Amino acid sequence: MKILVVTEQRQDKWNNTSFETLVAAQQIAAATSSQVSAVVIGKGVASLADELAGKNVAEVLLVENNLLENYTADGYCTALKQVIESAKPDLVLFPHSYQVRDFAPKLAAMLGKGMVGDCVGFRKEGDKLVFVRQMFQGKTAADVTFTSAGPWFASFQSGAFRADLLEAHAGGKASINAVKIELKPEDIRTKPLELFKEAKSAVDLTQAPLIVAIGRGIKAPENIAQAEAVAKALGGEIAASRPICDEGWLPMERQIGSSGQTVAPKLYLALGISGAIQHVVGMKGSRTIVAVNKDQNAPIFEIADYGIVGDIFEVMPALTEELQKAKG
Amino acid sequence: MPIEREQLEADVLIVGAGPAGLSCALHLANLIKKYNASGAKPELSTENIYVLEKGRELGAHQLSGAIMNPKALAELVPDFEKSAPLDTPVTDSAALLFTQRSSYRFPITPPPFNNKGNYVISLSKLVKWMGALVEAAGVNIFKEFGGAELIHDRMGIAGVITEDKGLDKNGKPKDNYTPGYELRAKVTVLAEGPRGSLTKQLVAKQKLDNINPQTYGIGIKELWDVQPGKIPPGYVAHTLGWPLSSKMYGGGWIYGLSNNRVSLGLVIALEYADPRFDPHAAFQTWKTHPFVSDLLHGGKLVRYGAKSLPYGGWYAMPRNYVDGGLIIGDSGSFLDSQRLKGVHLAMKSGMLAAETIFEALKSADTSAKTLRLYQDKISNSYIKEEMWKVRNFHQSFHNGLLDGFVLSGLQQITGGHGIVDPMHAEPGYKAYQQTHGRPAPERFKGDGKLTFDRLTDVYHSGTRHEEDQPCHLKVSDLNICSTRCAEEYGNPCQYFCPAAVYEMAKESDRIRLKISAANCVHCKTCDIADPYQIIDWTVPEGGGGPNYEGM
Amino acid sequence: MNIIVCIKQVPAKDAPLSITGNWIKESDIGFEMNEPDSYALEEALRLKEKHGGQVTVLSLGPERVKQTVKEALAKGADRGIHVADDNFAQLDPLGAAKVLAAAIGKEQFDLLLTGLQSDDHGFGQTGVLLAGLLNLPHATIIMQIDVQDGKMKLKRELEAGWFQRIECPLPAVLSIQSGINKVRYATLKGIMAAKKKEIATITRESLGVNVDPTQKIEKIYVPTKTKKTEFLTGTPKEAAAKLVEKLKFEARVI
Repeated sequence: MKILVVTEQRQDKWNNTSFETLVAAQQIAAATSSQVSAVVIGKGVASLADELAGKNVAEVLLVENNLLENYTADGYCTALKQVIESAKPDLVLFPHSYQVRDFAPKLAAMLGKGMVGDCVGFRKEGDKLVFVRQMFQGKTAADVTFTSAGPWFASFQSGAFRADLLEAHAGGKASINAVKIELKPEDIRTKPLELFKEAKSAVDLTQAPLIVAIGRGIKAPENIAQAEAVAKALGGEIAASRPICDEGWLPMERQIGSSGQTVAPKLYLALGISGAIQHVVGMKGSRTIVAVNKDQNAPIFEIADYGIVGDIFEVMPALTEELQKAKG
Repeated sequence: MPIEREQLEADVLIVGAGPAGLSCALHLANLIKKYNASGAKPELSTENIYVLEKGRELGAHQLSGAIMNPKALAELVPDFEKSAPLDTPVTDSAALLFTQRSSYRFPITPPPFNNKGNYVISLSKLVKWMGALVEAAGVNIFKEFGGAELIHDRMGIAGVITEDKGLDKNGKPKDNYTPGYELRAKVTVLAEGPRGSLTKQLVAKQKLDNINPQTYGIGIKELWDVQPGKIPPGYVAHTLGWPLSSKMYGGGWIYGLSNNRVSLGLVIALEYADPRFDPHAAFQTWKTHPFVSDLLHGGKLVRYGAKSLPYGGWYAMPRNYVDGGLIIGDSGSFLDSQRLKGVHLAMKSGMLAAETIFEALKSADTSAKTLRLYQDKISNSYIKEEMWKVRNFHQSFHNGLLDGFVLSGLQQITGGHGIVDPMHAEPGYKAYQQTHGRPAPERFKGDGKLTFDRLTDVYHSGTRHEEDQPCHLKVSDLNICSTRCAEEYGNPCQYFCPAAVYEMAKESDRIRLKISAANCVHCKTCDIADPYQIIDWTVPEGGGGPNYEGM
Repeated sequence: MNIIVCIKQVPAKDAPLSITGNWIKESDIGFEMNEPDSYALEEALRLKEKHGGQVTVLSLGPERVKQTVKEALAKGADRGIHVADDNFAQLDPLGAAKVLAAAIGKEQFDLLLTGLQSDDHGFGQTGVLLAGLLNLPHATIIMQIDVQDGKMKLKRELEAGWFQRIECPLPAVLSIQSGINKVRYATLKGIMAAKKKEIATITRESLGVNVDPTQKIEKIYVPTKTKKTEFLTGTPKEAAAKLVEKLKFEARVI
């Protein structure tokens, strides 16, 4: 099988989830005895292609055009359609980024194919490749297979694979091949304007890969700073169970649970949270759950991968220190 | 600053789309259709009948066991057997006495518990089905709208103001603020279920209370899927005894539905002495009885709910007609507390109200003078027949089960008269005895498989509310909670609320009432059972509340 | 402006999920308008209030979805189109989009709006696929729409706090970001008026669309925890150290 990974960059900076997708591709390749190629698309991105060539891929396809300098759905779809038609991959993989959501399904449809998006993993069952994604807002998992001939299109959720597991090229570099594509200005119907950063008025916990959540065990608003220190050391976001937000100690958008956000981060650290079902339904899809609670019978331990039965006011500072050591 | 409200006018406004409200609407629509078809003038319109329902869906707030006597439905929808969603006819009626470890079935099921000819139903499904008939008849049903306030009019009512929507926690308008409507109607029918909030207002203002005030019980229910073969569909059991003391009025029920589904629960009169008695915990404990735990073994909890029920009987029924207004169903205490039957009485009361309204509309006179026809109709119907016989039943149990059995036995052979007629009753909260500093009981935790804590149960009620809205539970004096109530009664709200809404939280030097209004399942227990009567349950933003679909 | 809004009816958020194969048991649960779509509808209604025109809502599914179309009409949409299909839950994203595109067929519109994704399947592809099938420009995760002189200036959300403005011609397809507006309540008058508004019903079969699937959901399941909880013991410092080590080398999340 030939696997093609479409990487993502903006203004010459990688979207790092591209590397996660390459890892996914390498793992699928290992399971199916396949080869992985990567595409870099944009303008003036040769150095990025060069960087990719040092990874364990068979080749890097470089697609450059003035009209691809800034992302447009039309530009990318028109260009990548030609790339796929010439490279003839069996499986095309993307990171499930906001940008990919904007064009990839359409790209697949232009070739008469379907896309399985936002996958959290894959499995090999006999000779079938099964993609796993979430349904019902993470309450269930779904096994999806392709029923048409290739090329197949799939995207992987951020954090589903670890970018640091990306293998380097064994001895040397992959070849970088420029792909010529036809793209005219009239092919592009939307005009991208300025990119800007804005302090988001609301935090989107559903996008956070690492979450530190507090519950009633925190006892008083003054103590939240200790949890925030853990979050900072971890590089994660602070969140809370309902009672904390009800009291106004944290804003409502930090609330996790049936009446708040439903999240499924890589890591969910529950501090002083008992694990009432109203809270648990909002986070049990998390990949790794750690709970700290002084009550060994707290229901949260039923879903935790790791647990510490102890006083959070002693564990929090210790954790902060250990995390700083590990990161630093 | 007075709020500008949009005004609308209807001929008839029915507040509540339960069995009573919908029976009223359907019967009235049928009467109007026949009338118009006969060529009578001026024509009446079914489109000028409005029904308000605070729930998200029809049936969302309907909770009952339920066993239904089909006689009222048969009058309303003659071919009901073909189309009504009746789960199963009753096949076996058992009366069981529970002791801690055993159960004894009465060799002859006492007549009140004999349910031959009745059906086990999901009231929620029935109401949903009725709603479709009502809408097909042209009546307007407005879901997600509640009656927040009455529009009083001298001795009666002129209509209802619906709740304001889009106010934030502090009462400030949000982007989508929509003030409630001023809905005026020639006749307003209060069909709000037990302890209706508008009914409470009306009864107080117009002094409609009977010789006894309305008294209530609380019913706590779970719906389970059990292993096949555990219980035949149509098997119906009522239990007495453990874990309730002989001083408490109440008992359990177990109804077998089709597809291995079981409805079970406990009803307890809200007239007990210990203010820290926990009805939810009692229900969970009842489930640990071998008879019940065996039934539920290997099964799965599907849904949970709780609701109050009007136990007071005939002498507690308020006057149910005023200028421009009628009270029907549980709001008017139309419940046979001996047989625990209210559905058919609610429906019949709705139909009699419809007939009354029909006459009033025809004669263009909707004053109490015409509407009192409703009371006459009730007195000449099987409603009176059934309720009159048990008019002193509930009161007989005031001093415990033994007294109750003796007294009610005597009533049975004297057509309901008994020794004293009428027997008086006091509001339930007057039964509380002060705690005198006794330590608070440990809270029930549940094992998570057979028994559950309240938070887990409330999750299975599907209750949700718009989070950012004013608290709909109005406590008129929070200071009492922190001081008097804490000392005298130990803050019973923490115990009697089946939805974990009320909690006393410790704050540096005092305790303070914390209300988690979003957990509310609209049972009205707090409004009924608070010892100082300072809790007012008001209607939250429409659509909020439990989801008893399929219950 | 003539606006079409695609709205999906999904199982109610709190409905107990009873899994059968690759879908859930539909009996005894409630259904409601997909929340992300309600933001798209609200945006459409606001645009209509500002620029005049008409809002048409379109929904695919069994008879019960008419209820959701009625709710949209009660909020102010002018007409509804129900594409009847009892087997809707089995359609893959491309199939569903093809059916919707066929139903939209000869409709004249300036703007086609969808929500970001559905709360049940969560494919998140419908808007983008519709744009492709109808050969229209599109943009997704839209936070703001300004219409002037026959074209639009859009604000689009990107990751990590970044945003972008885009110029886009009309007609176009937009997927609306959730939470960008406060959804209005249906008014009593709106509910009554909805009874008189038209809901056209088209059957999926009559559209003659080939919906051969490109993908199949083999099964859905509740992911079970295969590991038991590993309790980390010792003093808080020791436990914390053990935890960080586990997180780094075993769970590999840091």
